[in-house]
Amino acid sequence: MKIAVLAKVVPDYEVPAGDFELAGNRAHARYTRMIGLYDENAIETGIQLKEKYGATLGIVSYGQSEDVPILRKAIAMGGDSLHLVLGESDDPYVIASNLKIALEQLQDVDLVLAGQQSADLDRGVVHGVLAEMLGCTFLAQISRIESDQGRWTVCQNHESGSRMLQFSGKAVLSITSSPENVPRIPAVRAIMAAKKKPVEKLQGTDAPPMQVEEVKVEIPKLESVCEFLPFEDMQETSRMLLARLREERYL
Amino acid sequence: MKTLIIEKIEPKRIGELVTVGRILGETPDLLALGEGEVPGTYPRAYQCPETIAANLVDGVADLIQRDGYQVVLLSATTLGSEIAGRLGARLKAPVLSEVIEVKPDMTVKRPLYGGKAVAEYKIQGNPVILTIRRKYFEPAPLEGTTAAAVFNVESPSVVLLSEEQVQTQGVRLEDAEIIVSGGRGMGSADNFEVLREMAGLLRGAVGASRGAVDEGWASQTMQVGQTGNIVAPAVYFAVGISGASQHLAGIANAKCVVAVNKDEEANIFKRARFGVVCDYHKFIPALIQALREEQ
Ligand SMILES: Cc1cc2nc3c(=O)[nH]c(=O)nc-3n(C[C@H](O)[C@H](O)[C@H](O)COP(=O)(O)OP(=O)(O)OC[C@H]3O[C@@H](n4cnc5c(N)ncnc54)[C@H](O)[C@@H]3O)c2cc1C
Repeated sequence: MKIAVLAKVVPDYEVPAGDFELAGNRAHARYTRMIGLYDENAIETGIQLKEKYGATLGIVSYGQSEDVPILRKAIAMGGDSLHLVLGESDDPYVIASNLKIALEQLQDVDLVLAGQQSADLDRGVVHGVLAEMLGCTFLAQISRIESDQGRWTVCQNHESGSRMLQFSGKAVLSITSSPENVPRIPAVRAIMAAKKKPVEKLQGTDAPPMQVEEVKVEIPKLESVCEFLPFEDMQETSRMLLARLREERYL
Repeated sequence: MKTLIIEKIEPKRIGELVTVGRILGETPDLLALGEGEVPGTYPRAYQCPETIAANLVDGVADLIQRDGYQVVLLSATTLGSEIAGRLGARLKAPVLSEVIEVKPDMTVKRPLYGGKAVAEYKIQGNPVILTIRRKYFEPAPLEGTTAAAVFNVESPSVVLLSEEQVQTQGVRLEDAEIIVSGGRGMGSADNFEVLREMAGLLRGAVGASRGAVDEGWASQTMQVGQTGNIVAPAVYFAVGISGASQHLAGIANAKCVVAVNKDEEANIFKRARFGVVCDYHKFIPALIQALREEQ
């Protein structure tokens, strides 16, 4: 079994709104870069499949050379190889076309895992586009995967519950978060060893982008002014809060 | 713009998409998924019992091409995200997801960076596939029903083995006027009991942050935020929640946020209308007591 996980390096997704600034429509370059959170859930899921079924696990990314040291975390977690297609586009069609190059080079990948959505573009589009380009099944928000003689059984989470689905053949799956795929923290020794792993860099390709123009990007203002309630006497504070909520007709 | 909505038979979701459709032109057509009567009236309606999006793409792509739809509207839900990318790539159409604003001239807005920024796009090509973030558009009231043409799926490739609906006692999270949410600060699954008690007294629903869901203290269906439920209650209690931008993205349209957090620096206080800086163990039982006294 051969598994590929798509991972994207993004600016620190935990920077609070108050500290966030843009430079030319994108996050300022001063933020620490890291692998997106759902991508780490996908890597964790991939490693668990590797451990269970003896699969090989390739980590595939589209981005810049400077991201290599950050992507090595995926190797330290348990990935076998790292494949980076060089490019800078944010267009989902361009990104998917480039990821396809790496997947074709890896040959005969049975399963491609991706994060539910990237931690910078909040989008959840690239994996579906890629599945269509590869001509294979795509399922969104998968939390568990089992394999049985060429057939896959997966659990899909949705807004009101979950369901078990089954299919055969190759697929791209977007991975959601669950208590079972909270990303492991790699050991120091694994981090050191991952630094020595060779990285395969591939030249990116120009593909036609979507017919959409990005007009502008802005930071919305958080305008709420918090009224802090006293905390000496909790009974008193509770009654005060309920009274205030009624006064302002929220309750 | 000739528009097609694809959505499960859920009046509020369909209603939101009808509202968006009307911004772009007349009332759109509908492909209703699932069993039952099709609520609302449409120039044309189709109905398909299939709800596995993966099995719908081929048929839907043919329909769009045959009837010349220029806009396809989906909700930004599991179903929407499963169809949008594949459909877009099949039709070589632009795909914009998690849309929060739509204008008649085909400019749309959507969030970036966990909602810390908002981008505006002008769509040039068509057809275009849009997934619309829930709770940003007032659902159009759906009157009457429409007799829908049967829409069949040929050779489905994905099989449904079983379905589990998480039972919610009382009010559904997405409909609740009052939501009491707990985060990682709750400390354990058992501690969520006080939130259930409080929500019960307020006739509200219990929600959770991703932190609490990752810990296994709350079910994934309770998650509120960018990648959980998008909610718009009158009052949202955030208990032991730090207020990460991705969490706030789910409550942008909540009218009043009440934050209970022991860290006065917590980001949630920047979004809150009322704040109590303390250990929730002290405050929530007192609040429950006050609610009981009122009854
Ligand atoms: C792409 C992406 C999508 C995401 N989607 C979502 C989403 O949909 N929903 C979501 O919630 N998150 C989402 N996240 C995760 C988000 O970034 C945060 O990690 C998460 O919201 C943190 O959860 P938390 O506030 O419960 O935990 P923490 O950040 O750990 O905060 C816990 C808080 O509890 C307080 N506390 C501790 N003990 C007590 C006590 N006894 N009394 C009172 N207060 C106490 C602490 O002061 C702290 O502020 C997403 C992240 C990414 C990258």
